[in-house]
Amino acid sequence: MTNIPPETRTEDPMVSEEISRDVDSWWKIRLALTRRSFRDNWKIFRRNKIGVLGLVIIAFWGIMAVMPTIFFATGFWSPAVYDPVTGLELDPPTRTMTMVERITDPNTEIDQRAVLLDGRIPDTLRVGDTFELPLQPAPPDGRHWLGTDPLGRDILSQLMHGARASFFLGILAAVVTVVIATTIGSMAAYFGGIVDAALMRLADLLIMIPGVAILIVIGAVFTFQLWHLAVVIGILSGFGGTAIVLKSQALAVKVKPFIDAARVAGGSARHIIFYHLIPNVMPLSVLYMMFTVTAAIQSEAILSFLGILNTDTSWGLMMNLARTQGYLLQVADFWWLTIPPGLAVTVLSAAFFLVGRGMDEIVNPRLRRR
Amino acid sequence: MTTRKLPLEVSAGRSRLLEVDGLVMRYDTEAGEVSAVENVTFSLGRGEAMGLVGESGCGKTSVALSLLRLAPDNARYQSGSILWEGVDLLELSDQKMREYRWAEISMVFQGAMNAWNPVYRVGEQIREAMDQHFDPPLNKSEKDQRVDSLFQLVGLDPALQTRYPHELSGGMRQRAVIAMALSCEPKLIIADEPTTALDVIVQAQILEELKEIQEDLGLSILYISHDMAVIAQVTETIGVMYAGKLVEFGSTREVFHRPRHPYSYLLLSSIPSVTGPRRRPVSLEGTPPNLLAPPAGCRFHPRCPWATEQCRTEEPPMMEIGPSQWAACWNSEQVPEMGEQLP
Amino acid sequence: MIRYVTRRLIQMVFLFLVFLTVTWFLLYILPGDSVALKYAGNPNIPPQAREVAMERLGLDKPVLIQFRDYMFNFFQGDLGVSFNQYPRPVVDIIAERLPRTLVLFLAALVTYYWAGFVAGKYLAWRRGNRGEMLITVSGVGLYSMFLPFFALMLIWLFSVQLGLLPLSKFLDPEQWRDAPFMANQVFMRLFWVTLAGGIAMFGASFFALRTRSRRLERGLKWGGFVLAAVWILFYWWGTESGQAMRVYAGDIGFHMILPVLTLTLIAFAGVMLLTRSSMLETLREDYILTARAKGLPEGMVRDRHAARTALLPVVTSLVLAVATVIDGGVITEAVFSWPGMGEILISSVLSEDIPVAVGAFSFIGIMALVGHFVVDVLYGLLDPRIRVTEHG
Repeated sequence: MTNIPPETRTEDPMVSEEISRDVDSWWKIRLALTRRSFRDNWKIFRRNKIGVLGLVIIAFWGIMAVMPTIFFATGFWSPAVYDPVTGLELDPPTRTMTMVERITDPNTEIDQRAVLLDGRIPDTLRVGDTFELPLQPAPPDGRHWLGTDPLGRDILSQLMHGARASFFLGILAAVVTVVIATTIGSMAAYFGGIVDAALMRLADLLIMIPGVAILIVIGAVFTFQLWHLAVVIGILSGFGGTAIVLKSQALAVKVKPFIDAARVAGGSARHIIFYHLIPNVMPLSVLYMMFTVTAAIQSEAILSFLGILNTDTSWGLMMNLARTQGYLLQVADFWWLTIPPGLAVTVLSAAFFLVGRGMDEIVNPRLRRR
Repeated sequence: MTTRKLPLEVSAGRSRLLEVDGLVMRYDTEAGEVSAVENVTFSLGRGEAMGLVGESGCGKTSVALSLLRLAPDNARYQSGSILWEGVDLLELSDQKMREYRWAEISMVFQGAMNAWNPVYRVGEQIREAMDQHFDPPLNKSEKDQRVDSLFQLVGLDPALQTRYPHELSGGMRQRAVIAMALSCEPKLIIADEPTTALDVIVQAQILEELKEIQEDLGLSILYISHDMAVIAQVTETIGVMYAGKLVEFGSTREVFHRPRHPYSYLLLSSIPSVTGPRRRPVSLEGTPPNLLAPPAGCRFHPRCPWATEQCRTEEPPMMEIGPSQWAACWNSEQVPEMGEQLP
Repeated sequence: MIRYVTRRLIQMVFLFLVFLTVTWFLLYILPGDSVALKYAGNPNIPPQAREVAMERLGLDKPVLIQFRDYMFNFFQGDLGVSFNQYPRPVVDIIAERLPRTLVLFLAALVTYYWAGFVAGKYLAWRRGNRGEMLITVSGVGLYSMFLPFFALMLIWLFSVQLGLLPLSKFLDPEQWRDAPFMANQVFMRLFWVTLAGGIAMFGASFFALRTRSRRLERGLKWGGFVLAAVWILFYWWGTESGQAMRVYAGDIGFHMILPVLTLTLIAFAGVMLLTRSSMLETLREDYILTARAKGLPEGMVRDRHAARTALLPVVTSLVLAVATVIDGGVITEAVFSWPGMGEILISSVLSEDIPVAVGAFSFIGIMALVGHFVVDVLYGLLDPRIRVTEHG
């Protein structure tokens, strides 16, 4: 494998300059070149076990995100029971409890006080009577593979829908980030001077201010929907750290001879930025998309865990429910309430990070093993 | 001191400092074993200046690093010995080897820019070496004095020792590297491409100074370079390496004027000569072999215009050509005189 | 160096002004349900009452006047009054909480940077490229750990299962019922005593970085450590006020272990991975070969040459880490109900106590900016190249 720097791989400047007036064929050539570079890069990426591992995990969660649609469509799951928000298990597993004077084993015995506290227990019960206590949250069984939550909803269904929300949020945030950051970075690099200074000071500021704190405060004054959050994360990251990285990349591209060639050929600033700078900054942008996804998934989980986000299915919200209902510390007894969503957030965000690290080798040929 | 007679010795009459005998070194890599140094034998006398030339990747730097035992971790010494005043360096304990470094053999590394740690002052980095190797340790004023005189020796203002590396120009840094190499009074300096990154004028100055210092102090220097012209100016003996093997060895004058190995011949012919007989520069076709699977027979045969069937199957040993010249070639008499055109 | 520091200082002040302005415009001016509406936008308020409220809060004035008043008040230390703890001034709440959070952050930051750096250094030195996959995957896994989940696991393990550490909170109210001290009084004492010890230790290791003699370096490092330890022991056991407060200070310290541990473990992996790759890169440099060729002992090559230079990108990463550790701290405080800036930020946001939320956020911003400034100066001290380019 020869170490071709990314900019020469993504396009042949002479060719594209020649035909850039004819937009139609320009795109055809660009497409062909992209396909070729994609194939080459895939070869490099595939050798990197870390990146592939990340990709496998993402694929797993991708399948998880699609499953509910299939389950509902085939009738395997009935929405009344398995809907992540409104579903309800009407016939939960039960446990036989005995009414006693003094409780010695809280798992099988109740006393008179429980009748007052728990509305599910009939007040006709006397000492010595037994009673079938419906379990909610219920542990995993054949119907609910990961059990149910305190409201009687299926955990697995919530987990799958949570994956969907995470993908939606992460990808939207990443796209917003990259669109903003490539534009900002390329403009700062191309124009320099005051535009550069202003944009970069703004970026400095955004890097310095803790992102979660910003999101929490914004959450205080605006009602956050999931997609709002994605856009805000995208903006913060796009104007912030990612813009700085992409700007330095754009600066490196800017001094390449083909940019001069384009300028001499009479290319306008817009033309040079959009046809030459941005395409060459793209590989690095994709890398930073991965890191944005990680950050977005984590931020979302934290905001919903704290109850600041206005959303109905998310991994963070699942933990929030466990927290507000007081199951958080009973990890051993109610593990299905906290461990699946907690692990899901960790594993999926780590996976995107791993893919990013794997892609690092493509973008920085220096890191490649010879 | 050993009394064993090495076959290759130009420096007759001088006491022998270094004898490399049948050194075989390989690198273990994921792709397999790389044969980096293959049966290299030469010796170096006290006060002698010797050169090793060859294209990059021919093993000359591996030989140099082996003398200090600084080859990368994946290097394996298969056989052979490196005798330093009769002591086999490959057999020394790590601790003992560390004492030999810099005090006996020091090195001027390729690209002096990177030989300095950017975060310490130049003088500090020199003193650091002196702290290790003087017994009894030098006191502060002795060290100061020594650094001052070293700087003067290499033509630098002693005031520069308080500068950070990035505050010096390339030439200054290279001179300071030489000062550092001299700091512990070594007997041998290995100069690995000492002037490659410098412009031509500074290059010439530094080579000149190195030669003077070498003669004044009675040092031995082992020059390593890809550039035969550089080596020829400053050495008495020359070894030509190709693909991990020493293919020609002899006095610089002999090798330079009458190379007997096709590779040396082609390497020399590729340099246009201004003073010598008029000739057309000849280019060396092809690329050095893959050392993961070196060619059988003579390693140069795929690129050699005079290769015969024997070259393809039988490995030529070093053969004595003249009183102070050896070449590993079956057909050394075929190699034309310098200046003649290729057949 | 002085010029460099002054320049950074001016930059920071400027950035802070920008930060305040942006915060204000974001929260008070943007249309929709912004702060103005939170104050007086409740549809159940009768129109007259709303007008009175608007006037009293200055919301009827032109935007720029409002902005001027806000800035003016901010620099006078008037951040308004808390809704929930009415009529306690916001500044008062922040003054109580800021030192606590600073301690939490500093303790975590120092521990995790130190631990991450040392671990990364040895991983790079010992293993080279072997075990790459395992180290990276476990490092990334730890680094991307969902913080509340991880904190929960630690609480469950150390507090619920093993019963070693307290579940949450800042102190144990049972123990403090008859305490002759205010919590904050004890806390501040703890803060100053520990800070003095910390400065001694940090100063010693800073000088240790600059000495050439390895013996002296080691001596200074250990000397600083011992000095700090002796000082802390002496204060709490040797002085009268120290003895009186010891139990209470211990309780506060005891409650801090788990939050610091959580933050440290999560953030540690990032520093470790970074140090490792930075060090692996440094080890390929020629000056490492030179240092070896000079016959320096391996430990000296590792610490003085490789690690010292590999430290530079790690310190640079502190720039980003300041924001990360504050974020982590905010969440950790919330999970542990540990009453610092982060906890007050979240609880005020959840209870719509807007003045406190804005005040807490502003000070978190200040903390981040000051943190940055310190890192910049530190970097300047460590990298001679920076100092020179700044001289021009």
